[in-house]
Amino acid sequence: MSDCSILVEKVVEGDWKEIARLTQEEIDSGTKPEEIILKLQAGMELVGEKYSTGEYFLPDMMKSARCMSLAFEVLKPVVESSSFGSLGKIVIGTVKSDMHDIGKNIVTGFLRGVGFDVIDLGADVSEDRFVEEVIRHQPDILGLSSLLTTTMRQIGVVIKKLEESGFRSSVKVIAGGAPITEKFAMSMGADAYAADGGQAVKVCKQLVQRS
Amino acid sequence: MTMTQKQRILEVIAGKEVDKLPFGARIDVWFNYHVAHDSLPEKYRGWSQTDIIADQGAAAQKRFFSICKEEYHDMEVVKKQEPPYEITEFITPIGTCSISLLWSVAEGPWLAYEHQKLFKTEKDYPIVKYILDHTVPVFNEQYTQERQDMGERGIVMTGTGLWGPSQRVMREIMGYELFYNEYMDRPEKVDELMESMMNLERKKLDIAIKSDLEIVNLCANWSDDIHTPVFRQYFTPWFREANAKIHEAGKFSMAHTDGEMRRLIPLFSETLIDVAEAVTPVPQTKCTMSEFRRMGDKVTLWGGIPSILFEPYVSNKEFDNYIKDFFKELQPGYRLIVGMGDNLTVAADIDRIGRVVELIDKYGKLPID
Repeated sequence: MSDCSILVEKVVEGDWKEIARLTQEEIDSGTKPEEIILKLQAGMELVGEKYSTGEYFLPDMMKSARCMSLAFEVLKPVVESSSFGSLGKIVIGTVKSDMHDIGKNIVTGFLRGVGFDVIDLGADVSEDRFVEEVIRHQPDILGLSSLLTTTMRQIGVVIKKLEESGFRSSVKVIAGGAPITEKFAMSMGADAYAADGGQAVKVCKQLVQRS
Repeated sequence: MTMTQKQRILEVIAGKEVDKLPFGARIDVWFNYHVAHDSLPEKYRGWSQTDIIADQGAAAQKRFFSICKEEYHDMEVVKKQEPPYEITEFITPIGTCSISLLWSVAEGPWLAYEHQKLFKTEKDYPIVKYILDHTVPVFNEQYTQERQDMGERGIVMTGTGLWGPSQRVMREIMGYELFYNEYMDRPEKVDELMESMMNLERKKLDIAIKSDLEIVNLCANWSDDIHTPVFRQYFTPWFREANAKIHEAGKFSMAHTDGEMRRLIPLFSETLIDVAEAVTPVPQTKCTMSEFRRMGDKVTLWGGIPSILFEPYVSNKEFDNYIKDFFKELQPGYRLIVGMGDNLTVAADIDRIGRVVELIDKYGKLPID
């Protein structure tokens, strides 16, 4: 049985060609699936840090996310029979009239990679749909993304709709996107702000610990 | 004699000394929204964007069209309206590809979103390549009209299209994520597609070179999402090739660089591009203006005021302080055109454009000390 450090290394390197074989070898050597997952997630967390510091960018993150996905394919049969839980549930989407989804997809990739259960609603999501999905999925966190100065105020519209529906207190709201600053996010009524995918991981972990 | 807005911009890019900082403003998002919602300020009802910018004392820019139009040969092109989408089918002898666009001018941006990209799966490689190989660019008469309308009140700086050729493949045809997946899985096919796009772009560049355009737009919406190795492989060689021709013709080149740029900044000077337009510093991105200045002494920075500073939640005092600090940071102020990263926001007060002009007159005389 190994310490799985090779898996951390491969996720950080984004070496997706090797990851499935190495994951299978870890399983075959008797390493617990939970331990393997924790190591894969630790790798993804390091990728998040490198992304936040500007060392890694979209394609690096995509390679690492592909590693996670391939490793989880191998782990699927053994994980399904285990009781390994997620860090929390997050509903995420880009707000109405905004078709941009790269930033949101990056955040989704990181959050899934470190163990959150993420329901991605896509782009151009109306305030009504956000509220419906919060009611349906009862997430711990709602993630709102906006890339345009023309759509960023929609973050406030979604939060107001949540308040009107009586579900605001049931969920923490995190906002982000190119024109969004912490000051603006807070002025719209969000609980938290993240500048990028790496920071989103840290902030979401704090939010679920607090709730 | 006082220089015109256009003269001042061109002199700055040429590295010559001018009396004060030029200010090239951009208000199309604000303008489109308020026209669509019939909410333009009373004074400006019925005015054009250029007229409004000129009234505020700033220079206008026009770059939201191409100097070329595309004609498609040996294929059938069918446009269908399926509101809110506009679908274009390219029916070629070897197969059909379609693109679905969503226009949302009423909310501000004039740009179409590719709701569904032209390239969707591996099977589309030969068809998209066929479309590119059978596309013929021709001069777009709109350019002549736009140039006439602009006059000396600013500058028309369009080019072969909005995106550079490699970015058009990455962003418009495939989308960044699919591109990077294809780049990982089928690099040789990506290469072939890029070469077809470059060949088309060369023909378009010839049209731009032969025109009286002074500044050729080579690329737009840069950000660090364009991976450095990909930039060096596909972007830099094309920019160097294009700039050799542009400079030989006595013209300048520009790129619209309004994204997160930290990793691309050191590569900018390799491209030989003359103007980095819409540079957007903190708090809207992670880069300071001093970092942008590291693009090189020969690069003219156009920008510096993040759009969000025009938002009502930023006080007049905060706004003024930002502009004054910005001038100080960039002193003595050469190779600098004040501009916005990248647009006036919908909720903004248009008179803040005029306020920037006032602050330039007070603090932006060159050299800034």
